[in-house]
Amino acid sequence: MGSHGFLEGSIQGFLRALEHALESEELARRNGLLQSLDPRVKLIGTLGLVLAATTSRRLAVIAALFALACLLAACSRVPLRTLMFRTWAGALTFTGVIALPALFLTPGPLFWRLPLLGFPVTLTGLRTAAYLVSRVETAATLSMLLVLCTPWSHVLKALRVLRVPVVLVVILGMTYRYILLMIAAAREMFESRRSRTVGRLDAGQRRRMAVSAAGVLLSRTMQLSGDVYLAMQARGFRGDVYVLDEFRMDGRNWVWLALLIALGGAAVWAGRS
Amino acid sequence: MTTRIFEVQDVRYCYERVVALDGASLTVPSGVRVALLGANGSGKSTLLRLLDGLYFAESGVVRFAGEPLTEARFEDESFSFDFRRRVGILFQNPDVQLFNPSVFDEVAFGPLQLRWPPEEIRKRVGAILDALHIAHLKDRPPHRLSGGEKKRVAIASVLVLDPQVLLLDEPTAALDPQSQGQMIDMISAWKDTGRTVVTATHDLHSVEDIADYCFVFEAGRVLAEGTPSDILQDVGLLRRTGLLHSHRHTHPSGEIHSHPHQHHDH
Amino acid sequence: MHIPDGYLSPSTCAALYAASAPFWYVSLRRLQRALRSRLIPLLSVFAAFSFVVMMFNMPLPGGTTGHAVGVSIASIVLGPWASILAISIALLIQAVFFGDGGITALGANCFNMAVAGSLAAYAIYRVISGNCSIGSRRRVVAAGLAGYLSINLSALLAAVEFGIQPLFFRDAGGAPLYAPYPLKVAVPAMMLGHLTVAGVAEAVLAAGLVAWLQRSHPSLLRATAPNAPETNGAAADGWPAIRPLLVGLSILLLVTPLGILAVGSAWGEWSPRDFADPAVRRQIAAVSLHQQPPSIVPAGLQRLSAIWTAPFPAYAPPFLRSASFGYLLSATFGAGLILLVAVGADRVFSGRRGSG
Repeated sequence: MGSHGFLEGSIQGFLRALEHALESEELARRNGLLQSLDPRVKLIGTLGLVLAATTSRRLAVIAALFALACLLAACSRVPLRTLMFRTWAGALTFTGVIALPALFLTPGPLFWRLPLLGFPVTLTGLRTAAYLVSRVETAATLSMLLVLCTPWSHVLKALRVLRVPVVLVVILGMTYRYILLMIAAAREMFESRRSRTVGRLDAGQRRRMAVSAAGVLLSRTMQLSGDVYLAMQARGFRGDVYVLDEFRMDGRNWVWLALLIALGGAAVWAGRS
Repeated sequence: MTTRIFEVQDVRYCYERVVALDGASLTVPSGVRVALLGANGSGKSTLLRLLDGLYFAESGVVRFAGEPLTEARFEDESFSFDFRRRVGILFQNPDVQLFNPSVFDEVAFGPLQLRWPPEEIRKRVGAILDALHIAHLKDRPPHRLSGGEKKRVAIASVLVLDPQVLLLDEPTAALDPQSQGQMIDMISAWKDTGRTVVTATHDLHSVEDIADYCFVFEAGRVLAEGTPSDILQDVGLLRRTGLLHSHRHTHPSGEIHSHPHQHHDH
Repeated sequence: MHIPDGYLSPSTCAALYAASAPFWYVSLRRLQRALRSRLIPLLSVFAAFSFVVMMFNMPLPGGTTGHAVGVSIASIVLGPWASILAISIALLIQAVFFGDGGITALGANCFNMAVAGSLAAYAIYRVISGNCSIGSRRRVVAAGLAGYLSINLSALLAAVEFGIQPLFFRDAGGAPLYAPYPLKVAVPAMMLGHLTVAGVAEAVLAAGLVAWLQRSHPSLLRATAPNAPETNGAAADGWPAIRPLLVGLSILLLVTPLGILAVGSAWGEWSPRDFADPAVRRQIAAVSLHQQPPSIVPAGLQRLSAIWTAPFPAYAPPFLRSASFGYLLSATFGAGLILLVAVGADRVFSGRRGSG
């Protein structure tokens, strides 16, 4: 990595996060199946299915849940490309690296010997790797679908159905909002430093640059928190927060809730060994 | 008979070790539009926060409708609700007052905290969004708004409570010219409507349109007061307080020089 | 270190949610009492800050870059309870919205990083910095150590959580259902990356930020230094006393690879296997006044040696190419642990008390 590698790397990270936020807002506005459901139904349904994928001891069941996730994605106009790059690729590389040695290291009956190198791939190793990868991919796809097809503020308000305290819901909403503001501020800082830096920096200088960027961000953080507090007070906030209840369950949503819970339940039952 | 909505007497306020207000005094009559003029750091923003009961003076007194504003007074919930509904403030940096996930939530925040009934809230929020032509932004998150849109949402979130008093901190700062114009038009339109408006600004170009009376600030004190035309003619005062607008420019005759000037031609 | 879904069994996940919940509850209660209405803006904005800081590529010695978590600086500036909540909130948003870390594993991630990390960082920082002045160099060192050790503690917890999965959760055919590697592989594998990269990134961030704050906003360090004098005054620090100890420790660390040069094994440190190996038997005889070792492994040795399979067999974690590097790493980690215990014991026995 060059002398500006750390600036580049961080800036790339910021851009990816901003893109992700933008894309999810766009997808949440499309006219698809998941977008049309009440966020509480989606939340409970998704959690149930993720739980089923994690508890299942049968690969076939996990595979079926994965197929279901893909089907829901297709019905909600989520492009395959998005799923592939946002979710599958990342999870596969990370978990793939971890699962790969398990193919060879897990003791058990021999399945196949790797040509040239002669490493033994065991049957148990194969099953273990399959469990790991399939579970990770399925869970990641399901939770990504929830977020891609629902505006973030709705996801948060839906959390109240799980008895999450209002104060936490409000904090989460505010945090997300200010994350995006700070990413923009951090990106500006890093980009201006990158443009002002000519030639190589030594290690100490690089560290100081990164730390001072964090420091400036920190002091802006404290300043912002004070100002937001004043703004909240100016509009009547005194410590307890109130949010508007805007979701209405209709017949269609009840049907879908029942369906998703039934599917999750069936998966849990089928997956027990 | 005009009552005095704000009375500030000899008020002092410090941030850590920096003195922001050093014995400032002024009176704001009800229903009048007032401008606080001064360069950055002269204390006008701090005074606005004191007027809104967000900060409390270390010495001296700030009175609202005859009653002193103290921290203890705001502990009383009914006083606090009443005050928050009657007095609204617009901060200079809109990001600070757009802390909700969507525009609708933001505008609904004030009424929600003041415990209005939900149906009432929905109606009023819808009405104000329409009035300010931002109904199409209802579900938009704040980070996807332009500067002018953010300002309008911020105003909507204050106006939804229908306050009698408006405190505006540099309302035209960092806005594009068109948005600036819309803002100035809005404040102009409040003339003689019974609303009291206190605007902190250093923009002399618009002060005649947005205010009926001015206070000039310097180093935390009120240096002078008068009608906008009086103040604008006092070049010595304007130069002293850093409000003067002076830069190199070209005359139609071709001459290029620098001197204090105004940009209007009628 | 963000554990995805599928690596931990549902019961492990549930147990860690249950372990985190009391901390969340207590933190919320304490903060609501202490901060009242300031709670919401302070936590939100700080959680946002730590989220963004987690995205920084911190440049590290050696030319690599790594990612910090920000848990140590959160504990130092806000105190442990607010840090627990702020980091948990950042982790939740990372997991749910950005897909970094699992939803079922959120309890585990919060327990490892937010709860254990905050408490450890706070304790280490307070103990090492004692009552020295706000501007003292010792605080910078304390922050760096707090960051390094707390991250490694979080990594160790995660490693243990991984390592016990194959022990308890296998399918009918014996294949591990979740994380497949036992403790003796999981621990070194996890610790390697954190001892060398992530821990250092956190230390650089924490130490660097504390130094920066000392210069520009010393008041922000006040919350966790209630008895500290303002100025950088007398040598009442006690810092000069610690310095020779740390220097000596560092020299020892650098010199440990020399141990590899001592060919052969240390006397008495033989494993049951060695008794069967003819080459080793000759060695044992050579150093034992030419007495032949018994041909059958003593029963007691056989039984006892199986009980504790040190996570770092022969001091060199697998997946390493250089034996001396592995040595150095193990020494660093061992030293760190010892330092932690020593410092803790010092606090208990010395009678010097900071408040809190």
